[in-house]
Amino acid sequence: MNERTLLRDNVADIAAYFAAGGWRPLKKALSMGRAAVIAEVTASGLRGRGGAGFPTGRKWSFVPQDAQGPRYLVCNADEGEPGAFKDRELLRRNPQAVLEGMAIAGYAIGASLGYIYIRGEFSAEAEFLTAAITAARAKGFLGANILGSGFDFDIHLHRGAGAYICGEETALLSSIEGLRGQPRLKPPFPAVKGLFGAPTVVNNAETLAAVPSILERGAAWYASTGSPDSPGTKLFCVSGAVNRPGVYELPLGVPFRELLETHCGGMKDGRKLKAVLPGGASSPALTAAEAMAVNMDYASLAAAGSMLGSGAVIVIEEGRCMVELLGVLARFYRHESCGQCAPCREGCAWADKLLAGLEAGRGRPSDVETLRSCAAAMTGRTICPLADSLALPALSFISKFRAEFDAHAAGRTCRAAGGGRLA
Amino acid sequence: MPRLTIDGRPVEVKEGATILEAAGLLGITIPRFCHHPALPPAGSCRMCVVEIEGSPKLATSCSTPAAEGMKVSTSSPAVKAARRDVLEFLLLNHPLDCPICDQAGECSLQDYYMEHSCAKSRFPAELKEPRQKRRLIGPHLVLDNERCVLCTRCVRFCDEVTRTSELFVSGRSDASFIDIREGKALDNGYSLNLADICPVGALTSREFRFRQRAWFLEKTPVTCLGCATGCRAEAHHAGGEIYRMVPAPGAENAWLCDRGRLTYRPLRAGDRLKKGFIKNGYIDLEPAVREAAARLAGEPGAAVLGSPWLSVEDNAALAALARALGTGNYCFSFTAESGIKDGILVNKDPAPNTAGAAEAAPTGGLDLGELNRRIAAGEIKALITEARAAAFIKGRLPDGFKLIVFATNRSEIPAGAYATLPYASYFETPGTFVNYQGRRGVTGPVVPPPEGVPPLAETAAALAAALKGDGA
Repeated sequence: MNERTLLRDNVADIAAYFAAGGWRPLKKALSMGRAAVIAEVTASGLRGRGGAGFPTGRKWSFVPQDAQGPRYLVCNADEGEPGAFKDRELLRRNPQAVLEGMAIAGYAIGASLGYIYIRGEFSAEAEFLTAAITAARAKGFLGANILGSGFDFDIHLHRGAGAYICGEETALLSSIEGLRGQPRLKPPFPAVKGLFGAPTVVNNAETLAAVPSILERGAAWYASTGSPDSPGTKLFCVSGAVNRPGVYELPLGVPFRELLETHCGGMKDGRKLKAVLPGGASSPALTAAEAMAVNMDYASLAAAGSMLGSGAVIVIEEGRCMVELLGVLARFYRHESCGQCAPCREGCAWADKLLAGLEAGRGRPSDVETLRSCAAAMTGRTICPLADSLALPALSFISKFRAEFDAHAAGRTCRAAGGGRLA
Repeated sequence: MPRLTIDGRPVEVKEGATILEAAGLLGITIPRFCHHPALPPAGSCRMCVVEIEGSPKLATSCSTPAAEGMKVSTSSPAVKAARRDVLEFLLLNHPLDCPICDQAGECSLQDYYMEHSCAKSRFPAELKEPRQKRRLIGPHLVLDNERCVLCTRCVRFCDEVTRTSELFVSGRSDASFIDIREGKALDNGYSLNLADICPVGALTSREFRFRQRAWFLEKTPVTCLGCATGCRAEAHHAGGEIYRMVPAPGAENAWLCDRGRLTYRPLRAGDRLKKGFIKNGYIDLEPAVREAAARLAGEPGAAVLGSPWLSVEDNAALAALARALGTGNYCFSFTAESGIKDGILVNKDPAPNTAGAAEAAPTGGLDLGELNRRIAAGEIKALITEARAAAFIKGRLPDGFKLIVFATNRSEIPAGAYATLPYASYFETPGTFVNYQGRRGVTGPVVPPPEGVPPLAETAAALAAALKGDGA
């Protein structure tokens, strides 16, 4: 099947969403009971779309049944990684599905309050979403005693203040609490001790938007799409030198070749494919040959040495300098590191300085090896994966495009040749 | 009670104990910057990582609970590499000003570098980020952000122990630095603990800066006499001079208050008494003792007032003096409200030996009320006591009243004192003190007293002898 359930057309308005069958899945969920809802979502095989790919139903089931006091559901819409722009599109085109998914998830985990943490820069989307929440409340889909079921659920919109790290779930929780946005040590996991110390589930906006259709049509229907290990559809946001960059909802497991050639209209201006970051700016690069042979799902990309991540596909054409590109990533991660863990705080900055030197032709022959070992020393050594988000691409860039780095270290820079292109 | 093995050695720990604590039981010290046993874990310096069999990533031993059956290595190649890497990262922007750094010799960064790295720097000096140096952040502390490793022990101390939250991490990424909240000074009564817990030379004590090198210091256990809590402390000294006081290693008090920590300062103050002092002039000790004895013997109803600031032994010597005087006008009983005043260490009773002073005269004597009444009524015309205890005498002294005090410093001498006798402080002579819980602590000597200044008990005995001489 090639049906779109997330990026549907003409459902942005609540009346249109309702006319298309919306908000019925919530009613169905309320009649099923909490355990059955969690079982259905678990059976669907839905996995987190924010990057980690953790099974959603299992995440919900981690909330202790006997926990006293409030519980919270948090929708992570802090999309901030370079190359990722899928949640923004989803929020614009299908906000009610996100809200309905939140209500269903809230019911499943026993929360009566949900938060949407939206990236600070998404001001238009925040206004739009506020209107969507108000509309859903007016129709009785949010608020007290929803649809006469006795279930209360309301949603607060919380706007971020511009830190990428607040997309990490525990930093996000601290940010909502008004604290410095930096990741917390785990355990305790948010499901046990999250927002304001209460059991909390944090799901990506895209994950939550998939929930209503799973409830509506059943786990088996959902699992019939995609690949066995990665059921369902996924939003791929493709950027780079392709003819039609944009957001595409496609079944997981779609071959990269099909994504590029059929959906994105192939490479722009007949350029040649050089490399792909298949899961966004934090995923290891695949060479053209590796990319053209891979399917876009969790297992296939892991087997190819990269990851699905958030589904931000960055396409790199021949002639693009990998040193410069890695420098862009390093600048970004250096700027966004919270500074808590020594390897990330110091490592991102060191990598950035090394790359700036290489780019400017101030490099030394030993710099490439220094950069590689710096990246290796950052890998898996920190509280959250931000350090890995730079280290893993860096290691893949260096191992797969070593000659470019060595050339820079020897003083043959692209900048001299002009415009960030290899001479 | 989880049982696990660390470096092949079995150990059983309490439920909830961390791997770092478990290793400590085996005598294995895992290097750490951000971990402090009395503060909540941060898990951020990544120095204390260990390898757990079956776990793909290295784990921070400071925050990972020891679990049944765990097989932990604190010295695998991966662990050693991770430590080297952390040290390299922390040293990237470090100023390497060890020769002028007061932490040198007791610096975790310096020691760990020697023990775990010794690698040559790969970071060009011209790329080092300059940071703020030498910033006074309170009456006792200097902050040097260039040396800081951002372990946040200081921030957590101010958040969790004093709950005053003066410090915070400002900025982010490699531009992070420790800052003090606008309009605040770090003066929370416990600020000098930050100089202790800072693993590097970022927070140093103004009292200690540039005065002595750590490796020249001798360490002598003492009891803090700052209040009735009687914290166990350690005096660090060299060449007959005390340079600082810190909490004793392994003491139940993880901290010391600033006031208690600085109790050694009068020792080297300019007004230290080395001679007797009568009216407005110095006088040698021997004639001073003779004069004091004459005044005490000459006034009928001369009184002896003990002091909760004096040791058990010195109070006993004053009690013996009362017996030599043959007077019933003596008082060693002081009532003070006791208990922890600030929820941390400082006691409601500012005197260190209220309980111990009473031991000198278990029966008989006057209470303070009766003593004051008799002074006011003119029944007592001379009294000997210790300078601070003289404050227990209420109201104006009657004309011609002969108040004789023991004092260590001229600034202690109460108004109206007739004669003052110097004595060796408890950093200079041993003394027993009983804290508010009844715990006995022996303190001193750490350094020698000024030449010619005997312990109080010795002078008291000389006074008693002089009185007997007069009587004979």
